[in-house]
Amino acid sequence: MKKIINEYKLKKSELNTRRLFLKTAGLSMGALALNTILPGCTQNTVSKAPIDLNPLSPRSPHFAAKAKSVIYIHMAGAPSQFELFENKPVLNQLNGQDCPPSLLEGKRFAFIRGVPKMLGSQAQFEQVGESGAWVSDRLPHFKQVADEVSFIRGLHTDQFNHAPAQIMMHTGSAIIGRPSLGSWATYGLGSVNQNLPGFVVLTSGGANPDAGKQVWGNGFLPSVYQGVHCRSNGDPVLFLNDPEEMPRNIRKKSIDAINDVNALTYEEFNDPETVARIAQYEMAYRMQMSVPEVMDISTEPEYIHELYGTQPGKESFANNALLARKLVEKGVRFIQLFDWGWDSHGVSRMGALELGFINKCRETDKPVAALLLDLKQRGLLDETLVIWGGEFGRTPMQENRNGVKQIYKGRDHHPSAFTIWMAGGGIKKGASYGETDEIGYDVVSEKSSIHDVHATILNQLGFDHEKFTFDFQGRPFRLTDVEGHVIKKIIA
Amino acid sequence: MKPKDIIWCIALGAIVLLTGNCSLFTEPVDYNTDVKPILNRKCISCHGGVKQSAGFSLLSRDLALSETESEKPAIIPGSASESEFIRRLTLKDPEERMPLGGEPLTQEEINILTKWVDQGAQWGLHWAYKPLTKEPEVLQMGSQNEKSFIDIAIDQKLSELDLKQNASAEKSDLLRRVSFDLIGMPAPADVQQAFLEDELSYEDLIDRLLSMPSFGEKWASMWLDVARYADSKGFEKDRSRDIWRYRDYLIRSFNQDKPYDDFIIEQLAGDMLENPSQDQLIATGFHRNTPTNDEGGTDNEEYRVKAVMDRVNTTWEGILGTTMACVQCHGHPYDPFPHEDYYESYAFFNNTRDADTEKDYPLLNFLDSLDEQQLQKLTNWIETVDEEEKAAELKDFVYVSQPIIYSIETDELVNAALYDTKYLGFRQNGTARIPDVNLSGKEVMWINLYSHVHNGRLSIFKDSLDGELLAEQKFNRKSQGYELVEIDLPETEGYHDIYFKYSSNQLSPDMDRGLSVNWFYFGEAFPGNPSQERTAMWKQFESLVNGNHESTLIMTENPEDRQRKTFVFDRGNWQIHAAKVEPGTPGVLPPMEEGARKDRLGYARWIASPANPLTSRTYVNRVWEQIFGMGIVRTVEDLGSQGDKPTHPDLLDQLAYKFANDYEWSTKRLLKSIMASSAYRQSSMASEEKIDKDPYNQFLSRGPRNRLTAEQIRDQALFVSDLLVPKMYGPPVKPYQPDGIWNTPYNNEKWVMSEGEDRYRRAIYTMIKRTSIYPAMETFDMASRQLCTSRRIDSNTPLQALVTLNDPAFVEISEAIGLQILNAKSVEEGIDKVYFSAMNKKIHPKKLAILHQLYEETKADSNRENAEEIAALTVANAIINLDDFLNK
Repeated sequence: MKKIINEYKLKKSELNTRRLFLKTAGLSMGALALNTILPGCTQNTVSKAPIDLNPLSPRSPHFAAKAKSVIYIHMAGAPSQFELFENKPVLNQLNGQDCPPSLLEGKRFAFIRGVPKMLGSQAQFEQVGESGAWVSDRLPHFKQVADEVSFIRGLHTDQFNHAPAQIMMHTGSAIIGRPSLGSWATYGLGSVNQNLPGFVVLTSGGANPDAGKQVWGNGFLPSVYQGVHCRSNGDPVLFLNDPEEMPRNIRKKSIDAINDVNALTYEEFNDPETVARIAQYEMAYRMQMSVPEVMDISTEPEYIHELYGTQPGKESFANNALLARKLVEKGVRFIQLFDWGWDSHGVSRMGALELGFINKCRETDKPVAALLLDLKQRGLLDETLVIWGGEFGRTPMQENRNGVKQIYKGRDHHPSAFTIWMAGGGIKKGASYGETDEIGYDVVSEKSSIHDVHATILNQLGFDHEKFTFDFQGRPFRLTDVEGHVIKKIIA
Repeated sequence: MKPKDIIWCIALGAIVLLTGNCSLFTEPVDYNTDVKPILNRKCISCHGGVKQSAGFSLLSRDLALSETESEKPAIIPGSASESEFIRRLTLKDPEERMPLGGEPLTQEEINILTKWVDQGAQWGLHWAYKPLTKEPEVLQMGSQNEKSFIDIAIDQKLSELDLKQNASAEKSDLLRRVSFDLIGMPAPADVQQAFLEDELSYEDLIDRLLSMPSFGEKWASMWLDVARYADSKGFEKDRSRDIWRYRDYLIRSFNQDKPYDDFIIEQLAGDMLENPSQDQLIATGFHRNTPTNDEGGTDNEEYRVKAVMDRVNTTWEGILGTTMACVQCHGHPYDPFPHEDYYESYAFFNNTRDADTEKDYPLLNFLDSLDEQQLQKLTNWIETVDEEEKAAELKDFVYVSQPIIYSIETDELVNAALYDTKYLGFRQNGTARIPDVNLSGKEVMWINLYSHVHNGRLSIFKDSLDGELLAEQKFNRKSQGYELVEIDLPETEGYHDIYFKYSSNQLSPDMDRGLSVNWFYFGEAFPGNPSQERTAMWKQFESLVNGNHESTLIMTENPEDRQRKTFVFDRGNWQIHAAKVEPGTPGVLPPMEEGARKDRLGYARWIASPANPLTSRTYVNRVWEQIFGMGIVRTVEDLGSQGDKPTHPDLLDQLAYKFANDYEWSTKRLLKSIMASSAYRQSSMASEEKIDKDPYNQFLSRGPRNRLTAEQIRDQALFVSDLLVPKMYGPPVKPYQPDGIWNTPYNNEKWVMSEGEDRYRRAIYTMIKRTSIYPAMETFDMASRQLCTSRRIDSNTPLQALVTLNDPAFVEISEAIGLQILNAKSVEEGIDKVYFSAMNKKIHPKKLAILHQLYEETKADSNRENAEEIAALTVANAIINLDDFLNK
């Protein structure tokens, strides 16, 4: 396309667009995003900062970041910690006995009614690696990489239903309408690859997470920071493919024509948004080429497919795990993997700890381990923060829905204590934070909240969570609200 | 000018404007303009409504002058030198100097505060809470020529920036602007022609557009965001919900130009008006648009409470321009709303019958004609055996089925459970309780139930399972569907717990449910003496009550004998009750009229009164934002002290006053008045100077030029392609959406594309599923409809380009437009015609040349038979992607 608008005009207009954008998006005049993001920046130094051209251009955080990218693996439905990482011999001894009333007093459960029975672990545990972490036989592959991760074993939440708990996990509030973690990260850091979305979401397990798009929503942040849901079937990004009738070269011509006409419109009205639109159409064209390329795993070598257990063309967690690595390589800032189907209540085969749960472990164990190994062998693990977890824990009691014993083994929702892990991105190897009582019911030491997890993630990305704010409805909002402490013990 | 200078220029300009260009050292310091901003920025996060560090709060004068933890006040009015408040600002020791751990105040800021204390430390009422008066002084001072008061205000500000309004926009551009602002799409060809050929004056054009039914569709879209309207319930399964009649009510209301006060009262409390009309009931759907949670294992009371809180927040944000959400946990950090204010508002909304039931009760049923006939027969018969009133009462029960007691209100369940936490089920020897039922005058109870086995028996006791047996009911047969059973009760006075015990000789102890219950009703007996006729009529009544009718969600109020009490929730936690509160309005605002009812209707009337300074200010600001792209107060959601200041305060006040008084709350008159201004009619051309001095066009140095909304982009494309079907109202429609978008757990509802004309309806009729908004609209910044949205933030992204380039719905539209191009005398004429239909003007020759070249090149490139069609499609697709087309 012949350059109708000279570089000067472009820069100037884009600057205006950026400012207008930030202004309308809720940032006050004296506090452009840079000011909010960079600590100690007075107005004078802000204006000297390099001209910021677009809402997704890369930006520096408060301090040097340990992690450049994040892969957040969410097992939607909340996997049972007692069958994966929490070895509780005392609970096993209590198996089948009535739950003592002290555990039930004043508690609300989703489904347990009356007096349930205690339920010992349905898996076998062993200590693995140099760290000696307890890992169950449900995760044979994970045992090989357990030394890479730090466990957070004393996590709690205040939500005990899936949708609100997932919203809590990803937005720091059970109130709908807050921005998700990935949106905050993209808002703060922009994206280093302008030909790909900065925040990508991949789903598997046959359904979207219970909370729907809220968990990758932009909330009150501008919608440009919303997660882009990439799909296994059809267009990987919605509407990426040109109409059948339209060959690539024609699409190119048509975008050039649109932009040529728009350049004339710009001369007419001098509206900076018009220049921004020209840039967006060019970016759309580039995205059309780069997204299918990165989303195509068929070109990966055979040993990679073996490592992950991937089958190109299938909707699977394994494929998504491999895609996550490819996206990180390309500079995508935040990748969320949701795998649905972990809600093991014991009321159906799929939701049985002795059946469906085992299948879910089989589907995901190998790819998760592969992802850590693969990132490591490429030297990417150090700068990629990987998080694994659910939205709450499960009860040490067997679920007795409607006050009746269930046919299968299952556990109810349990917000008081659960386990997640983090790896890479400046997280300690083989550490563990938090401890629960001998039946895994309550946290007895090093208790942490979801705000603490968020503070820690932001810290690894280079943000002081207390200073990373966005003005909305007359007050500065934070991902961590008024709480949150960085979990220093797991930081390398 | 460098960008930095622009910022400073504006910042200084703002200060100059706000302080009236006077020296701070000779004139009195004004609390609102000079002091409050400093306090909000530097002090109030530790000494405000949330925290009162060292026992010192600056939220009100009373608080600030009272003793602190040091046992003396920090502010001595009239003596800055004795005031600890001032001393602490100037200390060198960082442990002592305020703000603790922050940057010190500038000398100028300290001077302002010092002077303010010396002058007596007077607090002032924030502008938004001040009463509206007839004629703000400043606008009277303007010249008494024909200039509208709007232009007087706009010009005054512009002259301070040494700017002038642009000349009037080209007729074609103005027509496009007015059309989108009034009907949300281009004007129909005849209107277009009449205006362009001077057969229709500008004023007549506006009247013409205001009278079109599409006016209501455009303006209802605005209110749907405020009302967080959607066609699904919101959480997890996110099943569909039928509440589209509320959307239709909005369209009708805007078309009727329903006065805004009535509009508000109907939506907040239409059900409590005397003999409410069907429309007034449907209007109460406003606050039934709250998300509900059908997830198994949820505490229904928790979600009822969330819904009530959402109603408080939406009422305050959407109608009163005040952010109340923070007051649910603590006093407002910046504005004079103590914690209790929130719960006093909450109390007005806390006695509605909705309770997060799966069926979304209460509902207003719509009977088909057959059922209507049956109902008529039934009421005719009742009138022969009982009073007319009885007939009317039972008729209402068929329509609304209230007040009932839901099975989720039962407790003390043994061998019984709320299955999926939704429906009461009794197993063998199952027992349950309904607490605290007023039995005075209650002759019978009706139970809506399902018997799963033969030979069941339900015994009903008073006050305990060992108490007096009130009644016993046998179920000889399995139910074929839900049944309505009438059980006689002995005459009993007062409030009692009702206990149930169920058994059946067909059930073994480990078997599942024998009996399921949906709801209970206590009241007078069904009329008539026992007879075959009565039995038949009861069957008729039962089938009408349990019939599968169309319905919409409405509000109804709890009966007198089932009123909820309201408590302050400690730190917003609904399970921890603090002090009990009565319904009330915040002290900072004018009180309710003496003798006004202290209920939801009284509250609605208080809100919709011309004396309420927030209601009309908020609405005119919202309408202004719709038209100019930015409100007079940019933060439409918050007129409080942390929101932006009005760019034209007197103009806002005058518009608000006129709207509530002179215009008699008429939206159409308000629009006409705004659109008559030259500020609205001016060209949107932006000179370098204007971009420098007024980069965001806050001061309206040029006409508004804004991107079309998500809805308008679709509507315009359909309009230009001639595919648009102007059919109004009715259930939501499903235009093309790619497969696999709806993928919600435990919900097998599918997006099945609407057939025929429903595929081409205006965007306002598109099905909105909360967890999965129609992607083409979501990408163009459509509100997510989870919460009240006061304004959409426009973005400009590559994903938007992909929608209008490649979404098959837009490709289909491009195809249709392509055919128009081919059917014209020449391709060039075709392009021009298409462009004209939306832009009201001939396409610029240079632009035409580019598009024509695209056509020729595409045609030449293709060796397919239909090369012309493909070329025309490509050009048509380019046209709907033009910046011209995406903006108004």
